[in-house]
Amino acid sequence: MSVQPQIPPVENESLEDRLYTVRYDDPGDSHLDVKVADVCATCETNDCVKVCPANVWREGDDGVPTIAYENCLECSSCRFACTYDNVVWEYPKTGGGVTFKHG
Amino acid sequence: MSPERDVERDTRAERDTRSEPNYDDHFDAIVVGAGLAGSAAALTMADRDLEVLLIERGSSPGAKNVFGGVLYTPTIRELTDFETAPLERYVSERRFSMLSQDDETAVSLRPGAWHTEPHNDSYTVLRGDFDEWFAEQAVEKGTTLVTETTVTGLVRDGGRIVGVETDRPDGTIRAPYVVLAEGGNSLVSEGANLKSTETRENVAVAVKEVLEFPDTDDAIEDRFRLLEDAGASYHYFGEGAVGDAFGGGFIYTNEDTISVGVAYRIEDAVAANQSPEATLNAFKTHPAVAPLVRDARTVEYAAKTIPEGGAESVPELVHDGAAIVGDAAGLVLNNGVHLEGTNMAVESGYQAGRTIAEAAAAGRTDAGALASYPTALENSFVMKNLEHYDWLMTKAEADRELLFETLPRAFASAGTEYFRMDRDPKRVHEASAKRTVLDAVGGWVGAAKLAFRYRKVVT
Repeated sequence: MSVQPQIPPVENESLEDRLYTVRYDDPGDSHLDVKVADVCATCETNDCVKVCPANVWREGDDGVPTIAYENCLECSSCRFACTYDNVVWEYPKTGGGVTFKHG
Repeated sequence: MSPERDVERDTRAERDTRSEPNYDDHFDAIVVGAGLAGSAAALTMADRDLEVLLIERGSSPGAKNVFGGVLYTPTIRELTDFETAPLERYVSERRFSMLSQDDETAVSLRPGAWHTEPHNDSYTVLRGDFDEWFAEQAVEKGTTLVTETTVTGLVRDGGRIVGVETDRPDGTIRAPYVVLAEGGNSLVSEGANLKSTETRENVAVAVKEVLEFPDTDDAIEDRFRLLEDAGASYHYFGEGAVGDAFGGGFIYTNEDTISVGVAYRIEDAVAANQSPEATLNAFKTHPAVAPLVRDARTVEYAAKTIPEGGAESVPELVHDGAAIVGDAAGLVLNNGVHLEGTNMAVESGYQAGRTIAEAAAAGRTDAGALASYPTALENSFVMKNLEHYDWLMTKAEADRELLFETLPRAFASAGTEYFRMDRDPKRVHEASAKRTVLDAVGGWVGAAKLAFRYRKVVT
């Protein structure tokens, strides 16, 4: 995007601050997992990381994605994005996970 | 009797020994998910004297739901006392913008008729409020609503679906009919082999922010030229909205907030060089969008996937003992001009509920007895509209560079040329502007081909 002096500044809050706007009740354990860890180790595209809007799927030091499930917005993009069908996705149990006030 | 059935019998016998509470046989129908489709189904069945259990995994109906922002209400108005519905604003303007990197070319519609009730049945709502209200309408008709309960699977007897498994202690609940209204992330339907997992070409990822203007009174009314409870629905496409992806951006005005978001196909999201959040940030800083969202504070950040496969992706809608409705059935129309889903969700829930009530009166649960649901949907605006636009999406996908990059640039450049102020005669600028657009579409031959390709839009 080119810089134009007439564009008013738009303060985009950090992803962390934005994620803080939604309530998250930790169900205790992750509702996300991978089916076969070796598949992720050999995957070069990490599409789960690229599509995740909440930085839940993160590139690890070794290039293999790690899961920080606590901020999951439950959009399920990772499940559709993975071309190896290697994402285990369960609904968080007993009302846990994200709660949208507005939606 | 098949060995598989023996196994299921054993499982059932084991369950029967479990302690109370035992809801088996208490309900005529179970609805999975208290969104718009689920509550419409529950309300319709309860209204016909069925005992209905509506199961919601969130802490309240709507707690897990996200949508763009406009609710289309023709059916919901028939089903409820709509006067009491928590609406934000009615849509008084629809605006469509083509964005190149720096330019905007827009068409805006503000028909006077939209100011008069029923306001073209188009309202902005917030799902947290609205879904809770709508589920409450079903409860008032006699539906039993349970929240914080997740359906984890279906119970079968032979091939027939006879109930659901939940994550509650003694969580098996039986009923002759199950309505699956679990949304686009339909784990239960997929787990029970009632539908296949949608491909990433057919699913969009959407991110949205609800923004407020803490330091500015009347910011929404002023920026969007609105009076009282009139509202606006702005749609954006082209590379300035979501880069070279297949999708677009949107802004909707709520009462005291605005909803700003982008939605584009997952296939494109993984190919892009930025996260969906970064795409949303870029959209908000486009020169045409930034003045509308400046000085705003994020009230909520949300994300969702949208099933955009169209008519071809709609699964078998009825099975022995079950029906699929709403997003779970892929009932969404997103073609750039029409962005609909809530109306289809409510219509499908209503038609499925009506069909089940008729089947119950006849004492039948087989898929054949539920066939009038898909037939009714086929004869309604839902499937007619989806089928009408399936071809458009296929063509648009093939033409996406032209539609999302070349044309927005050409129109902006032609507009700049057409209105250019210098000492040349207008005729020179008009000819040049026309040439710019013609060149973009490949001359007269290209224009003719393009017109032929999209002739169904006007015929």
